[in-house]
Amino acid sequence: MVDMGLAVKIAAGGFGVVFFLLTILWITIGLTRVVAEKITKIMNK
Amino acid sequence: MFGLLESGFQFFTWGNALMLIIGAVLIYLAIGRKMEPLLLLPIGFAIMLVNLPIGGLMDYEHEIKAKKSGIVSRISVEEGRVFDKDATIVQADTGAIAAPVFGRVKEIKVKPGQQVEAGDVIAVVLTPQQTNQAEIPTKPIGLLAIFFSFGIMWQILPPLIFLCLGALTDFGPMLANPKTLLLGAAAQFGVYFAFFLSLLFGFSFNEAASIGIIGGAEGPTTIYVTAQLAPHIIGATAVACYSYMALVPLILPPVIKLLTTKKERAIYMKPTLRPVSKLEKILFPLVTTVIVILFVPASAPLIGCLMLGNLFRESGVVERLSSTAQTVFIDVMTIILTLAIGGTMVAENFLQVKTLLILVLGVVSFASAAAAGVVLAKIMNLFLKEKINPMIGGAGVSAVPMSARVVQVMGQQENKRNFLLMHAMGPNVAGAIGAAIAGGVFIGILG
Repeated sequence: MVDMGLAVKIAAGGFGVVFFLLTILWITIGLTRVVAEKITKIMNK
Repeated sequence: MFGLLESGFQFFTWGNALMLIIGAVLIYLAIGRKMEPLLLLPIGFAIMLVNLPIGGLMDYEHEIKAKKSGIVSRISVEEGRVFDKDATIVQADTGAIAAPVFGRVKEIKVKPGQQVEAGDVIAVVLTPQQTNQAEIPTKPIGLLAIFFSFGIMWQILPPLIFLCLGALTDFGPMLANPKTLLLGAAAQFGVYFAFFLSLLFGFSFNEAASIGIIGGAEGPTTIYVTAQLAPHIIGATAVACYSYMALVPLILPPVIKLLTTKKERAIYMKPTLRPVSKLEKILFPLVTTVIVILFVPASAPLIGCLMLGNLFRESGVVERLSSTAQTVFIDVMTIILTLAIGGTMVAENFLQVKTLLILVLGVVSFASAAAAGVVLAKIMNLFLKEKINPMIGGAGVSAVPMSARVVQVMGQQENKRNFLLMHAMGPNVAGAIGAAIAGGVFIGILG
């Protein structure tokens, strides 16, 4: 008999982790853009 | 030992004949219909090779040992004969000594009347069955079995193919419009939905995870996860994944049409994306590697290789490595990987009700992944000033770049001014990253 409680935990938790991580990446990409622009400005000075 | 000259006819079964037909169909789809020919052609040919009996290309050697001491009373299966799983090979006075796999007897090491001790090897058998090495250790001796063991089970080929995919992938569209990462994330719903359904159909946790990951629509990820969690179903999951990737033009449109109105499908998106600087493209693989692997260490082989390949591409200083990874290297890896996968599809392994169920659950996984991407795009539109075309959410089903192309074609059909390809590439490559993370999560929990 499959432990459905564990199954829900794995499915919901796993999907949550994927969503959370890709959201973090989204934010990071935004920050990376800002940092990259700053670095480029400094290098061009 | 075997006779001086043996033919395969005496061992040829209806199952083998059916597998030859399946192999031929895959070859036809590759040549006649140009469906994923780089993958389906070698897989189809390998299926034919391993279903010609006693060719031995997928053979593993397994030593059957006595569990108790006793005296051998009878040899039940002679050398060279085939036997089913759990068949008695040798009868001893203390009980039957059975084979835990199906296959053929290579050598009987005992004689009737001989005393055997617990742990003595009583027979050596050949089997093409994928086994759990902790319970039933085998040694690969056939060419394709060697490819499979050292290429896939040692986790070498899928990460290396990911390295090549990284070198081939332009993350620019995703970097230009990073909110599309969410669409790639939403599409991973299909993975977990199919995982859940598989459990309801009686699959074990490890099998269900391997079936669910088909929805990630990334062949190497599916193979990597299945090899670690449920190697005995790797043939079915790999073929399901690659076949459905080829069938994305058939799977995606009905799902998208079901969930969107004509007006939504015609939403116009500006064809140009903001330019992404070279520095951003170089920083992306570095930052992603650190963040993702810190959170999900089990995804390190896939994400690490994907991002290294992408760094080769974007750095601009290792042109030779980048170009090799994009051309010759990926071809070599693909040949070995596909032959090894096709090799697992011996009739006894493949022709089971389970396989049919896996194929059905695989398509459910793909369809629900596309549906989740579209639904999230519609939800995002409730909050966005500049609306996105919800069809690009369907491209969160990775299958790079097939699903993005399908969205482009559909977009053109609905609104001639719309060029959605670059917009759809964002969720498309995000789906590849999401699938690798989902695979890592499964391995981290169940591996």
